[in-house]
Amino acid sequence: MKETSNKYLISAILLALAFHGSAIFFTLETTYDALIHLFFADHYANNWFEPWNYEWYTGFTVQSYPPLVHQSIGLLSMIGGLKFGMFSVALIAIVLFVTGTYRFSLMMTANKTVAGYACVLAVFSSSFVETLHIFGQLPSIVGVSVLMHALPEIYLWLKTGKKWYLATSLSLIAVTVTSHHVTPIFGMVFFIFPLIGMVIMDVSREQVNTMKEVTFKLFLNSFFKLFKRIVSFGMLSLVLIVGCIFPYWLNSKANPITQVPIPHGSRDNFLEITSSGLVFFLIPWGILLVLLPYIFYRYYSKRYLFFGLSVTICTILGTGGTTPVPLKMLGETAFNILTLDRFTLWASILSIPLMGEFAYRFVEGDLKELIQSKFGAVYHRIIGGILAGLMVFMVVFTMSLNYFRPSQPQKIKMLPIVNFLNQDDHDKWRFLTLGFGDQMAWLSAQTNAMTVDGNYHSARRLPELTTRPIERLENSKFKGVAGIGSLQQFLTTPEKYNLKYIFSNDKFYDPILYFCGWQRLRQLENGIMVWERLNIPPVSSILPKEDVAKWLKIHWGIMPFLTVLIAFILNIQMLWVNMLKTRFKPIPEFLKFPTTYKKFNRNVLRITHIWSIILAIVVFYGIYLFYLKNDSQRSPENAIIAYYDALDFKEFEKAHSLIDPNNNIPIAQYMLEISVTDGLLSSYAKMDAIETEITKFNDSTVSAKVTTQWITPLEKIEKIDYKSLSKRKGKWYLQPDDLNNDLPPDQLYSANATKYYNQGRRRITTEATHHEDVLKQPVLEIVSAKLVHYDGSYAIIGEVQNIDNVPADVILKGTLYNDDNKQLATYNAKYHVKHKLMPKESSSFRINFEGIAWSKTQDSIPDTFNPDEFTPVEFEEQPTKFNLQAAGNVSGSDLYKNVVLSAITIKDSIIHGNLFNSGIQEITIPQLLITYYDANKNMVWVDHLFVKEGVRQQRKQDFEYQILKDGKVKIINSDMKNIFVNGLPNDAIADKVVPNRIENHSDAQLQKIDHPDFSYIKIEINTYIGSPN
Amino acid sequence: MHFKRTYTFVIGLVLLSSFAVIQSSDMTNPIQLLTTQTDYNVGYPVVLEFTASEGEKPLLYCSNSYGSTLVSAKAKNDTLQYVIPYNMTKKIGVVNWIVLDKNKSAAGQFNINPKAEVATMETYIGPPSIEAGGTDYTMLVVIPTDSLDNPVPTNTKVDAKFQFLNSEEKDAIFTKNLISYKNIYSKKESGRMLVSSESLGVNSKEFTINVWAAIPTDFKIMAKRPHNYADGNQVTTFNTSVIKDKQNNVVSDGTFVTFFITNGIGNILKTTGTTIEGIAYAKIIHPDFKDNWSIKAYVDGMAESDTITLNYQSVIEDFEVAFANKNREILVGPLQSFMKQMIPDGLHVKLLIYKDNLLVDTITKTAFNGYVTFNLKPAIYKNGSYNFSIETAGTHKTFNNKKLW
Repeated sequence: MKETSNKYLISAILLALAFHGSAIFFTLETTYDALIHLFFADHYANNWFEPWNYEWYTGFTVQSYPPLVHQSIGLLSMIGGLKFGMFSVALIAIVLFVTGTYRFSLMMTANKTVAGYACVLAVFSSSFVETLHIFGQLPSIVGVSVLMHALPEIYLWLKTGKKWYLATSLSLIAVTVTSHHVTPIFGMVFFIFPLIGMVIMDVSREQVNTMKEVTFKLFLNSFFKLFKRIVSFGMLSLVLIVGCIFPYWLNSKANPITQVPIPHGSRDNFLEITSSGLVFFLIPWGILLVLLPYIFYRYYSKRYLFFGLSVTICTILGTGGTTPVPLKMLGETAFNILTLDRFTLWASILSIPLMGEFAYRFVEGDLKELIQSKFGAVYHRIIGGILAGLMVFMVVFTMSLNYFRPSQPQKIKMLPIVNFLNQDDHDKWRFLTLGFGDQMAWLSAQTNAMTVDGNYHSARRLPELTTRPIERLENSKFKGVAGIGSLQQFLTTPEKYNLKYIFSNDKFYDPILYFCGWQRLRQLENGIMVWERLNIPPVSSILPKEDVAKWLKIHWGIMPFLTVLIAFILNIQMLWVNMLKTRFKPIPEFLKFPTTYKKFNRNVLRITHIWSIILAIVVFYGIYLFYLKNDSQRSPENAIIAYYDALDFKEFEKAHSLIDPNNNIPIAQYMLEISVTDGLLSSYAKMDAIETEITKFNDSTVSAKVTTQWITPLEKIEKIDYKSLSKRKGKWYLQPDDLNNDLPPDQLYSANATKYYNQGRRRITTEATHHEDVLKQPVLEIVSAKLVHYDGSYAIIGEVQNIDNVPADVILKGTLYNDDNKQLATYNAKYHVKHKLMPKESSSFRINFEGIAWSKTQDSIPDTFNPDEFTPVEFEEQPTKFNLQAAGNVSGSDLYKNVVLSAITIKDSIIHGNLFNSGIQEITIPQLLITYYDANKNMVWVDHLFVKEGVRQQRKQDFEYQILKDGKVKIINSDMKNIFVNGLPNDAIADKVVPNRIENHSDAQLQKIDHPDFSYIKIEINTYIGSPN
Repeated sequence: MHFKRTYTFVIGLVLLSSFAVIQSSDMTNPIQLLTTQTDYNVGYPVVLEFTASEGEKPLLYCSNSYGSTLVSAKAKNDTLQYVIPYNMTKKIGVVNWIVLDKNKSAAGQFNINPKAEVATMETYIGPPSIEAGGTDYTMLVVIPTDSLDNPVPTNTKVDAKFQFLNSEEKDAIFTKNLISYKNIYSKKESGRMLVSSESLGVNSKEFTINVWAAIPTDFKIMAKRPHNYADGNQVTTFNTSVIKDKQNNVVSDGTFVTFFITNGIGNILKTTGTTIEGIAYAKIIHPDFKDNWSIKAYVDGMAESDTITLNYQSVIEDFEVAFANKNREILVGPLQSFMKQMIPDGLHVKLLIYKDNLLVDTITKTAFNGYVTFNLKPAIYKNGSYNFSIETAGTHKTFNNKKLW
């Protein structure tokens, strides 16, 4: 009998290439993972045999991820660039997947038409669409596809015992291993074990007449008969799994993943966090959800029994944190390391053959007859339409998910950044990106410059990163207090990481950068703001690395392609045979066990109907709940939440539509009122939680106490607003708030100011800067400094003055020692100092010693993360001495000083006051530095307050400051001996410039307060200008 | 097969030859230096001549501060000649040599002396900014070098030239230990100093030193205001006299001056300014109630001003309050200023609400067109009897037992 080409398979391949092949160009680059793989590929393209990569995480090894896909992209990039490589590999992955499902289905069902149906449907399987177009997990797809190719070969080896099949199956397993490590390990459990079970069933079946006669005893007999083959295959594939990526396992052992688990949506309770449920359950299952009864019915038939178990386990594990079962099954560690969505992926892939079978039986088989005879032809057509419609809907929905809910920021043009890094040796320092999303990997792939961050969190090595549940510093604003806390530790002590440049694509981070002592350099033409920090040493030219043996490097560089080569040679013959039918070949063994599709089980049809109705009810109820929650004017609560959401996302038109129309505020007026409010809360805050307490007055009027929690880059803010709402024609509206009517005195006014410009290099040359172009470091003086202990934490406080004639950027670095002169902690001044000082200006300062400051970082970080909470644990670790290094550098930016403390009253330990902006810039975030003094006017503590609202020009802004609660400050050491300015002793340099300093000069001008522990305070004001003009 | 024999033979020969001993004569004469010159000018060829002995040609090892080399001999008329390579003779300094014959019989040294010519001037100066007053200084270092980049001979004259204000000076300094240097002390005046140097007719490029004023001395302050009413709206401007250092130089632009204001009840307000041409301006908004200010300015730790006082007269002596709409609407105003004009928008009016003599709430609103309206929402303020206190512009009015219903 001449074999004919399977037209379903060919059309499936063509369809997949046309559909996915064209879609990847619009989706792949915005997926979560694709660009990470691109970065790895870039590494291999440049250093094929060198596993150490310096660019991320202050160095990590690429032997932490199986290399095949990366190396393939890297190799192909030699022809047409990295992206060409990525798309080519993606196309290969698509073809592998479609052919893999065909072979897998053919083996399972022994029916070419059914397998054809299966592979056509697999093209549109929503789990595949999601994995490729949303997640971009190329290695995972290649791994599972090759595994599917391996399954028939394994079957044939076990069944026939021909060594040839052992070779082919092992060769394919090897390829799977080198492309993805988790797939073959779990593939053993979820794909190969049930397959072995099926083979034993088939062998048993051959000894009797019907499947029913297969008994457990017979099964056991067959098992022992096949035992040698099973064990030999098992042992050999184990050898391959270990051997093919041996350097990976070696590295995992040397650098075990000992990091705080990073939250992943697949571990959520899907009923609570519905977005995770959608992405990690509904979408990957898709249309298969409807077929679940059929799938379980079929997989629990005797032949497939073990596949039934496998699908069941995968399904349950895939439900993540919805039920406690996965946690119990996997154990705490595995549950927190694995992303559980892969189980759902495997369950859906295991179901593909049965989906094909169902489709076949529905379209041209016994199911069609059953339905038509029972319900009529029209019903059959309608059901077919609905199923097809659902399928198409799921595909379209999944493909467009990124369009409606972009998981990534807008595509960033990298060229200006790459040029900036190449220019003037900027790549001699490390950089950090903020708000780039996964595109940071693409930037890293294009430049040689190094970053402290990275995008493959399993490879992180810095304890500052591994002790935090933070994926990347880059997107830390989405991780709440822990994220911002982790980021600001890097921003405060950047010299530790040679971090000089920050590319910010998100203005949210601007205030934290400013208050940590960074300054704006310029905006690149792609809109990215470059921030720099002065006084950072460049990265040393020789960096530490963890070297591995030469043979491991060669193994890693050669093995992946060797496995592909061997698999190709061994299987190409099969491919030719299968595809081109050049030679007659005996029918494979698995085709000898066809299922006859004669009579569809009525009960299954009935249960499927009931199941579908249940599903439909659940879906509609969900939509109804969604509607209730989102109909913004149904209840006062909804109106308030909608209003705050609209404000949070800056959708002012929507916010305006929720304002009571009876007030007749036109949108233009509303926008004006909104636009004049600037400040930390209105421009840099992200709403974290909202709680409303409704006090009902009558049916149409209520007042609400709205408590909102905001995450700002600087601190967490709780805000309480009182709103009143009115019901008009069944809809709830908010009453507008009162406006601040403050009228500035002048329409036009002028201000003179001294401005500075630093030329840098005066000659256009790449040579080292000429010595005459090097500015002198401004001389600072530490007027006073002491080590104090207050409220459970240690700090160095004091006062610094710029005694030079040019403005200075001030960096203060404090180090603590114990009695034995052992260094305990080192940290920089963060918020508690004015980082930019005009000539002769002084500032109080306080240096905190936060978590990572301490030498024993691991010990000092509390479980519940609060960046300001830190205490050395052991007694001998208590600091008694300190060293203070002040560095001044000339800086011409952020020198706005025109802010006035224009009124102050103190009542019940609360300071009320007014700030007045007398200059010509709008102050976005005013910061007060409050210095506390004891009765003898000795400085004892420094505190700060960020005023939540900005101050517009010539206007007042009131503030409220709660004086610190009682608590004695213990002064541990006020010895000024170990203080250095620009590396020189403070005393000597101060004596030279200000020989006759008037000590405690402005002591007469301290504000008296009534407090048991403190007697005076001093208020200094620092300002952040969001958009200087 | 005969190849094998050939190989064995050859290898045998090689082995044998290694045991061969070369006869050496013990009667050679020690090598002696013939050249008497020990000082050479840099850049000129140096040839060392030795007595030759029995066809021996030992190597000459020579080294200077840059490195070492071996020189092979040339035999000429019973003498051995060693030509010292150019890269050694072009560097000044001592060259040590030793003949590497069996006894290392001859060793010695010669000097390569600098040329008295200048091709380039290596000049360094720093720090680039110093303070006026005669105590601070910057250091000029000049290293004149010849065409072979060697420093010139000791005591070569270098003229250091300075231009500062109206003076142009020239100072002769002399090289010593390869360099010449001079500490340049500031004068009493601030300004810009240009520095250059010259040696043997070759001039350096121009260098700039900024001489900044020293730390400021005490100064005076003044105030200017459009009127002396406490309207909470106009702006008072303070300024300093020209702040100078003790040498009468105007302090550098940007010098930070803090104005502390002590108000009538002893609270401290403050405003700041930076100097331009020695004068710092600082602004502050008028208070919105009658007040006496005493103002003193500081340059922290260095200088201070005299104290001046300012009085602000009250603009609102009295205001009216009307209750309406079940006492839930409180209308404050008209609020009128000193010429009976409506007070400019933005004056703060504070309503303090007491229930059973406990402060329940404080509402602050700003005046608009001379009026302020407070609406007490029934949902927040339940029906009952309240005491109200209204404060604005330093005055207040109290209303007791007002009933809301």
